[in-house]
Amino acid sequence: MPYSPSAPRLRLAALVAAFVVVVAGCAGDLSTGDLQGVVIEEPTAKPSFTLTDTDGDPYAFESETEGRLTLLYFGYLNCPDICPVHLAQIAEVFDRDPEIARETEVVFVSVDPDRDSPGEIREFLDQFDTDFTGLTGTREELAAAQAAAGVPEAVLVGEGEDYTVDHAGWVIAYGPDGLNHAIYPFGVRQSEWANDLEILVGIEG
Amino acid sequence: MRRLAVVSCALAAAAVLVAGCQASGGIDVTEARVGAPTGPNAALYFTASTEGGEPDVLIGVSTDVAGNAEIHETTHAEDGTMGMRPVPSLDLPAGETLTLEPGGLHVMLMDVTPLDEGERISVTLQWQSAGEVEVEAEVVSPADTLGHDDG
Repeated sequence: MPYSPSAPRLRLAALVAAFVVVVAGCAGDLSTGDLQGVVIEEPTAKPSFTLTDTDGDPYAFESETEGRLTLLYFGYLNCPDICPVHLAQIAEVFDRDPEIARETEVVFVSVDPDRDSPGEIREFLDQFDTDFTGLTGTREELAAAQAAAGVPEAVLVGEGEDYTVDHAGWVIAYGPDGLNHAIYPFGVRQSEWANDLEILVGIEG
Repeated sequence: MRRLAVVSCALAAAAVLVAGCQASGGIDVTEARVGAPTGPNAALYFTASTEGGEPDVLIGVSTDVAGNAEIHETTHAEDGTMGMRPVPSLDLPAGETLTLEPGGLHVMLMDVTPLDEGERISVTLQWQSAGEVEVEAEVVSPADTLGHDDG
Protein backbone atom coordinates (compact mmCIF):
# COMPACT_ATOMS: atom_id res chain seq x y z
CA MET A 1 0.00 0.00 0.00
CA PRO A 2 1.50 3.31 -1.00
CA TYR A 3 2.31 5.82 1.68
CA SER A 4 -0.43 8.34 2.27
CA PRO A 5 -0.03 11.28 4.58
CA SER A 6 -2.22 11.24 7.60
CA ALA A 7 -4.91 13.86 8.07
CA PRO A 8 -2.93 15.83 10.69
CA ARG A 9 0.03 16.05 8.32
CA LEU A 10 -2.21 17.39 5.59
CA ARG A 11 -3.57 20.01 7.95
CA LEU A 12 -0.05 21.03 8.88
CA ALA A 13 0.90 21.27 5.22
CA ALA A 14 -2.14 23.44 4.58
CA LEU A 15 -1.23 25.68 7.50
CA VAL A 16 2.34 26.08 6.25
CA ALA A 17 1.07 26.89 2.77
CA ALA A 18 -1.34 29.46 4.17
CA PHE A 19 1.48 31.03 6.20
CA VAL A 20 3.70 31.27 3.12
CA VAL A 21 0.87 32.99 1.22
CA VAL A 22 0.35 35.47 4.06
CA VAL A 23 4.07 36.30 4.26
CA ALA A 24 4.33 36.64 0.48
CA GLY A 25 1.22 38.81 0.52
CA CYS A 26 2.76 41.13 3.10
CA ALA A 27 5.96 41.47 1.13
CA GLY A 28 4.02 42.33 -1.99
CA ASP A 29 1.87 44.86 -0.18
CA LEU A 30 4.67 47.13 1.04
CA SER A 31 3.31 50.59 0.42
CA THR A 32 4.21 54.16 1.18
CA GLY A 33 1.60 53.95 3.95
CA ASP A 34 4.09 51.84 5.90
CA LEU A 35 6.87 54.43 5.70
CA GLN A 36 8.19 55.55 9.06
CA GLY A 37 9.79 58.76 7.78
CA VAL A 38 7.81 61.97 7.31
CA VAL A 39 5.63 61.10 4.32
CA ILE A 40 5.12 63.75 1.64
CA GLU A 41 1.40 63.55 0.86
CA GLU A 42 1.81 65.01 -2.61
CA PRO A 43 5.27 63.84 -3.71
CA THR A 44 7.32 66.45 -5.51
CA ALA A 45 9.63 65.93 -8.47
CA LYS A 46 13.36 65.41 -8.14
CA PRO A 47 15.11 68.76 -8.57
CA SER A 48 17.41 69.58 -11.42
CA PHE A 49 20.75 71.14 -10.48
CA THR A 50 24.37 70.68 -11.48
CA LEU A 51 27.26 70.73 -9.00
CA THR A 52 30.82 69.35 -9.01
CA ASP A 53 31.65 65.87 -7.74
CA THR A 54 34.73 64.86 -5.76
CA ASP A 55 36.59 64.01 -9.00
CA GLY A 56 36.05 67.58 -10.14
CA ASP A 57 33.51 66.56 -12.79
CA PRO A 58 30.11 68.16 -13.33
CA TYR A 59 27.29 66.17 -11.73
CA ALA A 60 23.75 66.76 -12.98
CA PHE A 61 21.74 65.45 -10.04
CA GLU A 62 18.51 64.62 -11.84
CA SER A 63 20.02 62.70 -14.76
CA GLU A 64 22.84 61.03 -12.77
CA THR A 65 20.36 59.51 -10.34
CA GLU A 66 17.54 58.80 -12.81
CA GLY A 67 15.55 55.66 -12.03
CA ARG A 68 17.39 55.11 -8.74
CA LEU A 69 16.32 55.35 -5.13
CA THR A 70 18.21 58.50 -4.08
CA LEU A 71 18.96 60.02 -0.67
CA LEU A 72 19.99 63.69 -0.80
CA TYR A 73 21.53 65.47 2.18
CA PHE A 74 23.09 68.90 2.66
CA GLY A 75 25.75 69.17 5.39
CA TYR A 76 29.35 70.06 6.17
CA LEU A 77 32.49 68.31 7.31
CA ASN A 78 33.12 70.15 10.59
CA CYS A 79 29.68 69.05 11.79
CA PRO A 80 30.15 66.51 14.62
CA ASP A 81 26.61 66.00 15.87
CA ILE A 82 24.15 65.71 12.97
CA CYS A 83 25.89 64.90 9.66
CA PRO A 84 28.00 61.91 10.74
CA VAL A 85 25.08 60.35 12.59
CA HIS A 86 22.79 60.48 9.51
CA LEU A 87 25.50 59.14 7.18
CA ALA A 88 26.71 56.45 9.58
CA GLN A 89 23.16 55.19 10.12
CA ILE A 90 22.60 54.82 6.38
CA ALA A 91 26.02 53.17 5.92
CA GLU A 92 25.27 50.60 8.62
CA VAL A 93 21.94 49.73 6.99
CA PHE A 94 23.84 49.27 3.69
CA ASP A 95 26.37 46.98 5.39
CA ARG A 96 23.57 44.72 6.54
CA ASP A 97 21.66 44.79 3.26
CA PRO A 98 24.04 44.92 0.28
CA GLU A 99 21.14 44.64 -2.15
CA ILE A 100 19.59 47.87 -0.86
CA ALA A 101 23.06 49.44 -0.99
CA ARG A 102 23.40 48.52 -4.67
CA GLU A 103 19.98 50.00 -5.46
CA THR A 104 20.47 53.30 -3.61
CA GLU A 105 22.37 56.48 -4.43
CA VAL A 106 23.49 58.61 -1.49
CA VAL A 107 24.35 62.17 -2.49
CA PHE A 108 25.97 64.44 0.12
CA VAL A 109 26.26 68.13 -0.74
CA SER A 110 28.74 70.18 1.28
CA VAL A 111 27.32 73.63 2.00
CA ASP A 112 30.67 74.84 3.36
CA PRO A 113 32.63 75.46 0.13
CA ASP A 114 35.28 77.66 1.77
CA ARG A 115 36.45 74.89 4.10
CA ASP A 116 35.47 71.61 2.42
CA SER A 117 37.59 70.80 -0.63
CA PRO A 118 36.51 68.00 -3.01
CA GLY A 119 39.38 65.85 -1.70
CA GLU A 120 38.34 66.40 1.92
CA ILE A 121 34.71 65.63 1.07
CA ARG A 122 35.89 62.35 -0.52
CA GLU A 123 37.95 61.44 2.57
CA PHE A 124 35.01 62.30 4.83
CA LEU A 125 32.52 60.16 2.88
CA ASP A 126 34.93 57.23 2.51
CA GLN A 127 34.76 56.81 6.27
CA PHE A 128 31.10 55.84 5.82
CA ASP A 129 30.88 54.32 2.33
CA THR A 130 33.17 54.74 -0.66
CA ASP A 131 30.13 54.69 -2.98
CA PHE A 132 28.54 57.80 -1.44
CA THR A 133 28.63 60.70 -3.89
CA GLY A 134 30.00 64.03 -2.64
CA LEU A 135 29.24 67.36 -4.28
CA THR A 136 30.37 70.93 -3.93
CA GLY A 137 30.04 74.15 -5.91
CA THR A 138 30.20 77.89 -5.75
CA ARG A 139 28.02 79.69 -3.22
CA GLU A 140 25.63 80.61 -6.02
CA GLU A 141 25.44 77.05 -7.32
CA LEU A 142 24.86 75.68 -3.82
CA ALA A 143 22.14 78.26 -3.15
CA ALA A 144 20.43 77.26 -6.39
CA ALA A 145 20.67 73.55 -5.51
CA GLN A 146 19.19 74.10 -2.06
CA ALA A 147 16.37 76.20 -3.47
CA ALA A 148 15.65 73.55 -6.11
CA ALA A 149 15.58 70.83 -3.43
CA GLY A 150 13.24 72.93 -1.30
CA VAL A 151 15.49 73.24 1.74
CA PRO A 152 16.34 76.49 3.55
CA GLU A 153 19.70 77.86 2.48
CA ALA A 154 22.57 77.10 4.84
CA VAL A 155 23.90 80.06 6.84
CA LEU A 156 27.39 80.54 8.28
CA VAL A 157 27.31 81.43 11.99
CA GLY A 158 30.17 82.84 14.07
CA GLU A 159 33.48 84.36 13.17
CA GLY A 160 37.00 83.16 12.57
CA GLU A 161 37.87 79.68 11.41
CA ASP A 162 35.65 77.95 13.96
CA TYR A 163 32.39 79.19 12.40
CA THR A 164 29.54 76.71 12.23
CA VAL A 165 26.92 76.20 9.54
CA ASP A 166 23.18 76.13 10.13
CA HIS A 167 21.70 73.77 7.57
CA ALA A 168 18.64 71.65 6.81
CA GLY A 169 18.62 68.74 9.25
CA TRP A 170 16.79 66.19 7.13
CA VAL A 171 17.59 63.67 4.40
CA ILE A 172 15.37 63.81 1.30
CA ALA A 173 14.36 60.47 -0.25
CA TYR A 174 13.41 60.18 -3.93
CA GLY A 175 11.98 56.89 -5.16
CA PRO A 176 13.09 55.25 -8.42
CA ASP A 177 10.03 57.06 -9.88
CA GLY A 178 11.86 60.36 -9.36
CA LEU A 179 9.47 61.64 -6.70
CA ASN A 180 10.20 62.78 -3.14
CA HIS A 181 8.03 60.44 -1.05
CA ALA A 182 9.47 61.09 2.39
CA ILE A 183 12.00 63.08 4.37
CA TYR A 184 14.03 61.93 7.36
CA PRO A 185 14.60 64.41 10.18
CA PHE A 186 17.50 63.98 12.55
CA GLY A 187 17.06 61.09 14.98
CA VAL A 188 15.80 58.47 12.51
CA ARG A 189 16.95 55.03 13.65
CA GLN A 190 18.58 52.30 11.57
CA SER A 191 15.51 50.08 11.90
CA GLU A 192 13.38 52.86 10.39
CA TRP A 193 15.84 53.38 7.55
CA ALA A 194 15.90 49.63 6.84
CA ASN A 195 12.10 49.49 6.79
CA ASP A 196 11.70 52.53 4.56
CA LEU A 197 14.48 51.88 2.04
CA GLU A 198 12.94 48.49 1.27
CA ILE A 199 9.60 50.16 0.54
CA LEU A 200 11.05 53.12 -1.36
CA VAL A 201 13.20 50.97 -3.65
CA GLY A 202 10.04 49.25 -4.91
CA ILE A 203 8.29 52.43 -6.06
CA GLU A 204 8.58 52.20 -9.82
CA GLY A 205 7.86 55.09 -12.12
CA MET B 1 16.02 92.78 65.09
CA ARG B 2 18.52 93.73 62.47
CA ARG B 3 21.17 91.67 64.24
CA LEU B 4 18.88 88.65 64.15
CA ALA B 5 18.45 89.07 60.39
CA VAL B 6 22.22 89.22 59.92
CA VAL B 7 22.68 86.05 61.96
CA SER B 8 19.95 84.31 59.96
CA CYS B 9 21.67 85.30 56.76
CA ALA B 10 24.98 84.00 58.02
CA LEU B 11 23.36 80.72 59.02
CA ALA B 12 21.66 80.41 55.64
CA ALA B 13 24.96 81.12 53.91
CA ALA B 14 26.68 78.50 56.04
CA ALA B 15 23.94 76.00 55.17
CA VAL B 16 24.47 76.70 51.48
CA LEU B 17 28.21 76.22 51.90
CA VAL B 18 27.74 72.94 53.73
CA ALA B 19 25.30 71.75 51.07
CA GLY B 20 27.87 72.70 48.44
CA CYS B 21 30.56 70.70 50.23
CA GLN B 22 28.37 67.63 50.43
CA ALA B 23 27.93 67.65 46.66
CA SER B 24 31.69 67.58 46.19
CA GLY B 25 32.79 64.58 44.16
CA GLY B 26 29.28 63.20 44.16
CA ILE B 27 28.66 63.43 40.43
CA ASP B 28 27.50 60.23 38.80
CA VAL B 29 28.34 60.13 35.09
CA THR B 30 27.06 57.32 32.87
CA GLU B 31 26.88 56.51 29.16
CA ALA B 32 29.94 58.62 28.35
CA ARG B 33 30.62 58.10 24.65
CA VAL B 34 32.26 59.96 21.83
CA GLY B 35 31.46 59.52 18.14
CA ALA B 36 34.54 58.39 16.21
CA PRO B 37 35.79 61.60 14.55
CA THR B 38 34.98 61.92 10.84
CA GLY B 39 36.47 65.39 10.56
CA PRO B 40 38.34 67.85 12.76
CA ASN B 41 35.62 67.70 15.40
CA ALA B 42 33.91 64.98 17.41
CA ALA B 43 30.96 65.04 19.80
CA LEU B 44 31.00 63.75 23.38
CA TYR B 45 27.78 62.70 25.10
CA PHE B 46 26.98 61.53 28.63
CA THR B 47 24.37 61.51 31.36
CA ALA B 48 25.08 63.12 34.74
CA SER B 49 23.35 63.32 38.08
CA THR B 50 24.47 64.10 41.62
CA GLU B 51 24.45 61.20 44.02
CA GLY B 52 22.78 63.27 46.74
CA GLY B 53 20.45 65.04 44.32
CA GLU B 54 22.05 68.45 44.90
CA PRO B 55 22.17 70.89 42.00
CA ASP B 56 25.44 71.62 40.25
CA VAL B 57 26.65 73.40 37.13
CA LEU B 58 28.96 72.02 34.44
CA ILE B 59 31.33 74.86 33.67
CA GLY B 60 34.02 73.28 31.56
CA VAL B 61 35.35 70.17 29.86
CA SER B 62 38.89 69.24 28.89
CA THR B 63 40.63 66.24 27.38
CA ASP B 64 44.12 65.50 26.10
CA VAL B 65 42.76 64.23 22.78
CA ALA B 66 41.34 67.59 21.70
CA GLY B 67 42.80 71.06 21.22
CA ASN B 68 39.69 72.56 22.72
CA ALA B 69 36.37 71.38 24.13
CA GLU B 70 33.20 73.47 24.09
CA ILE B 71 29.73 72.78 25.43
CA HIS B 72 27.30 73.07 22.51
CA GLU B 73 23.59 73.12 22.09
CA THR B 74 22.05 71.94 18.83
CA THR B 75 19.43 74.40 17.65
CA HIS B 76 16.27 73.44 15.80
CA ALA B 77 14.68 76.29 13.85
CA GLU B 78 11.04 76.19 12.82
CA ASP B 79 11.97 75.74 9.17
CA GLY B 80 13.90 72.57 9.99
CA THR B 81 17.33 74.19 9.97
CA MET B 82 19.71 72.80 12.56
CA GLY B 83 22.81 74.47 13.96
CA MET B 84 25.15 74.55 16.95
CA ARG B 85 25.70 77.26 19.52
CA PRO B 86 28.30 77.28 22.29
CA VAL B 87 26.80 77.57 25.76
CA PRO B 88 28.97 78.69 28.70
CA SER B 89 27.59 76.21 31.23
CA LEU B 90 24.93 73.58 31.81
CA ASP B 91 22.67 73.44 34.84
CA LEU B 92 22.15 70.15 36.60
CA PRO B 93 19.01 70.94 38.61
CA ALA B 94 18.43 69.37 42.02
CA GLY B 95 17.27 65.78 41.76
CA GLU B 96 17.36 65.79 37.99
CA THR B 97 19.50 64.24 35.30
CA LEU B 98 21.53 66.17 32.76
CA THR B 99 21.50 64.34 29.43
CA LEU B 100 23.81 65.16 26.54
CA GLU B 101 22.64 63.36 23.39
CA PRO B 102 22.70 63.78 19.60
CA GLY B 103 20.43 66.56 18.41
CA GLY B 104 20.39 68.13 21.88
CA LEU B 105 23.49 68.93 23.88
CA HIS B 106 27.04 67.78 23.27
CA VAL B 107 30.60 68.66 24.10
CA MET B 108 32.35 69.46 20.85
CA LEU B 109 35.92 68.20 20.86
CA MET B 110 37.77 70.46 18.45
CA ASP B 111 40.98 69.59 16.63
CA VAL B 112 40.57 66.08 17.91
CA THR B 113 43.28 63.45 17.41
CA PRO B 114 42.35 60.35 15.37
CA LEU B 115 40.35 57.93 17.55
CA ASP B 116 39.35 54.36 16.79
CA GLU B 117 36.07 52.75 17.73
CA GLY B 118 36.45 50.80 20.97
CA GLU B 119 39.16 53.12 22.27
CA ARG B 120 38.57 54.79 25.64
CA ILE B 121 39.48 58.41 26.27
CA SER B 122 39.84 60.28 29.52
CA VAL B 123 37.78 63.45 29.95
CA THR B 124 37.75 65.95 32.83
CA LEU B 125 34.40 67.55 33.62
CA GLN B 126 34.62 70.70 35.69
CA TRP B 127 31.66 71.31 38.00
CA GLN B 128 30.98 74.44 39.98
CA SER B 129 30.48 72.59 43.28
CA ALA B 130 31.91 69.13 42.74
CA GLY B 131 35.09 70.37 41.10
CA GLU B 132 36.93 68.19 38.63
CA VAL B 133 35.43 64.81 37.83
CA GLU B 134 37.36 62.37 35.65
CA VAL B 135 35.34 60.16 33.33
CA GLU B 136 36.21 57.58 30.69
CA ALA B 137 34.33 57.80 27.42
CA GLU B 138 34.16 55.02 24.85
CA VAL B 139 34.73 55.83 21.19
CA VAL B 140 31.76 54.47 19.20
CA SER B 141 30.50 54.68 15.62
CA PRO B 142 28.60 57.94 15.06
CA ALA B 143 25.63 55.68 14.26
CA ASP B 144 25.73 54.34 17.80
CA THR B 145 25.83 57.69 19.59
CA LEU B 146 22.02 57.75 19.49
CA GLY B 147 21.94 54.90 21.99
CA HIS B 148 20.00 51.68 21.80
CA ASP B 149 17.78 51.17 18.76
CA ASP B 150 14.59 49.54 20.02
CA GLY B 151 13.23 48.86 16.54
